[in-house]
Amino acid sequence: MIKVKKGIGLLTVTALIAAMVGCGSSNDGNSSPSASSGSGSSPSASNSSPAAPEKQKKITIFQSKVEIAESLEALTKKYTEETGNEVEVWGSAGDAYGTQLQAKLTANQGPNIFSVGTGSEAEKLKSYLYDLSNEPYVSNIAPNVALKLDGKVVGVPYGVEGFGLVYNKKLVDPKNVTDLASFTATLEKLKADGKNGLSLSQEAYFLIGHIINMPFALQPDPKVFIEKLNKGEVKLADTKEFQEFAKFMDAIKANSGNPMEVKYDSQMGDFATGKTAMVHQGNWSYGMLKDYGDLGFDVGMMPFPLAGNTKLSIGVASNWVINGKSDADEIKASSAFLNWLLTSDAGKNAIVNEFKFIPAMTNIEADSLDPLSKDVFEATKSGQTVSWAFNDFPPGIIVNDLAPATQEFFLKKDMTGQQFLQKLDAVWAKATK
Amino acid sequence: MSKKKDKAWFVLFTVPLLFVFTTVVIIPFIIGIVYSFVSWDGIPANPKVFVGFDNYVKLIHDDRFLASSWHTIKFTVLSLIAVNLFGLLLSLLVTSKLRVSNTARTLFFMPNLIGGLILGYIWQFIFTDAFKLIGQKTGLENIFFNWLLDPQFALYAMVIVFTWQMAGYTMIIYIAGLQGIPDDMIEAAKVDGANMWHRLTKIIFPLLMPSFTICLFLTLSGAFKMFDVNLSLTKGGPNNATEMFAMNIFNEIFGYGHYGLGQAKAIVFFLIVAILTLTQVAITKRKEVQM
Repeated sequence: MIKVKKGIGLLTVTALIAAMVGCGSSNDGNSSPSASSGSGSSPSASNSSPAAPEKQKKITIFQSKVEIAESLEALTKKYTEETGNEVEVWGSAGDAYGTQLQAKLTANQGPNIFSVGTGSEAEKLKSYLYDLSNEPYVSNIAPNVALKLDGKVVGVPYGVEGFGLVYNKKLVDPKNVTDLASFTATLEKLKADGKNGLSLSQEAYFLIGHIINMPFALQPDPKVFIEKLNKGEVKLADTKEFQEFAKFMDAIKANSGNPMEVKYDSQMGDFATGKTAMVHQGNWSYGMLKDYGDLGFDVGMMPFPLAGNTKLSIGVASNWVINGKSDADEIKASSAFLNWLLTSDAGKNAIVNEFKFIPAMTNIEADSLDPLSKDVFEATKSGQTVSWAFNDFPPGIIVNDLAPATQEFFLKKDMTGQQFLQKLDAVWAKATK
Repeated sequence: MSKKKDKAWFVLFTVPLLFVFTTVVIIPFIIGIVYSFVSWDGIPANPKVFVGFDNYVKLIHDDRFLASSWHTIKFTVLSLIAVNLFGLLLSLLVTSKLRVSNTARTLFFMPNLIGGLILGYIWQFIFTDAFKLIGQKTGLENIFFNWLLDPQFALYAMVIVFTWQMAGYTMIIYIAGLQGIPDDMIEAAKVDGANMWHRLTKIIFPLLMPSFTICLFLTLSGAFKMFDVNLSLTKGGPNNATEMFAMNIFNEIFGYGHYGLGQAKAIVFFLIVAILTLTQVAITKRKEVQM
């Protein structure tokens, strides 16, 4: 009996030691090759392929756009084939991108390349943004769209983007959607025909973030207006454009389906199958429509007709930035990848034809744009644009505060647009306290 | 000699555990307490300002935090009852002489093997699409509508999902308890003429008290700390009506970037969970009987 016990004890100890040794050795195994490749002086690496370009360190990318996730991954594979350098793309996260990025950065496990929005989001992460001013590809960025902080270029725009009312040309004539009265009449007529006139969807930006841009952008100076709003010097409920906006929201609430039951997928799906006549979306949504093949109708984008507005909201949603807290080799590799993305044929092709971006680079031609992007591109050229005022909102306010308030508006049957404005004022005051 | 050996064994087995426990629990916990006294936005490069008890004062006046604690209490009470009731019923069912009892055990336990996140997404589909369809087909639209859009029913929806997940787990513990009760005792009671109800309340339940202690503890702390189902099923919506403690803390820290305040909430949260569960264990322990 005692022998058996001893035996078990011995066995346990051996197992424990084996486990420890096992872990230790596997760690060694992992670390040694990366260390040697990082130093770049490993003789075996340089001997085996003397003609190949310099081997870069493996880098990671984390970015916010769900739409381009697949194409980006395919593109990085191509990059690895062409240059032999490895790039890992982390899954995109949509609404949760900001929180996840911050968690990763704080834990010192940040990606080497990531994306940030223009405005307050970039300001918040300032300490991480690597100065790109001296990189060659920066000179190709179209005028006024580079992401600049303190006079330094820190980000390369994904592309220009615009949003407005995406409509089904068979069901809606833009001439009938020019102001509140005609907009409401169109919604009512579509409702009588058994169609959903206008669909928003439950994601924070598609529910309120984008559509509320218009009354802000129509202010004489949106940035100053937002600053005043933050200080509590102005109220949305007392501002003319917002009062009109509230009437639009009333019309949407009264005449179209509840956006809380709609997700981005179903929003675009219903639009593609002709159940919905209009959606408040941007040119990026064409990627979803493409999956439905031949729609049987033409699509276009028209301005959200707030106060007779005739302009599309156009701006830069996201910028590629390099994490300045990565080590020097990783920064070099990251910059090499961006350079390849922005100057090689494969990269340029992917930006226009795979990501479906309207390029913000002067060295990229855009001749095969989809219908929605074409409308945005036309508007940009003719100057029929307003800015993205929400880039200057306090960080996170759309997801944290405006979206819940809007949920309440759409779920409470008796809440009016004016009450909605007061609610927005209340949450805004709380968020900037 | 043997004492020395015993000590060596003791050290060999406790030191690694102690090391792990210290590094992943004790140290972060202490750091957390320190953070609860500073004002900081979570970006390492930005300054941390010492503010004393400001964060604790702030959280008392935070309506959203107070609302979320009320949701948490409602949710915990409801799911405590539901999980243990169903767990107990299921365990009684599968320990009776049913022919399918082994299959049933597996099936009832299975939801627990699926992660809370995935469960949440599956049930989101059921509550949103399936319920609506059932309502339209049967005309019972008062019961079958999109539960997740109603502040009250969204909370019940979470209770249902949590129960579905946890009932199988508590069932296993109750089964173990039930099987620990000697058959001869039940038989003796039968011979003495005790009916099913008397056997349950006078013999089985008192002897099952240790299992009750464990199950109540697990569901109480689990329901209080629940985050995954909350995130995937409702995201705290609609209009923050189902935002629980854990999610409120998460939003405070990552949504608003108030690390200090969020951390202070987390400390308060810890105290509440600790006090509640310790009280519960103390009470149910006292009720345990020896055979």
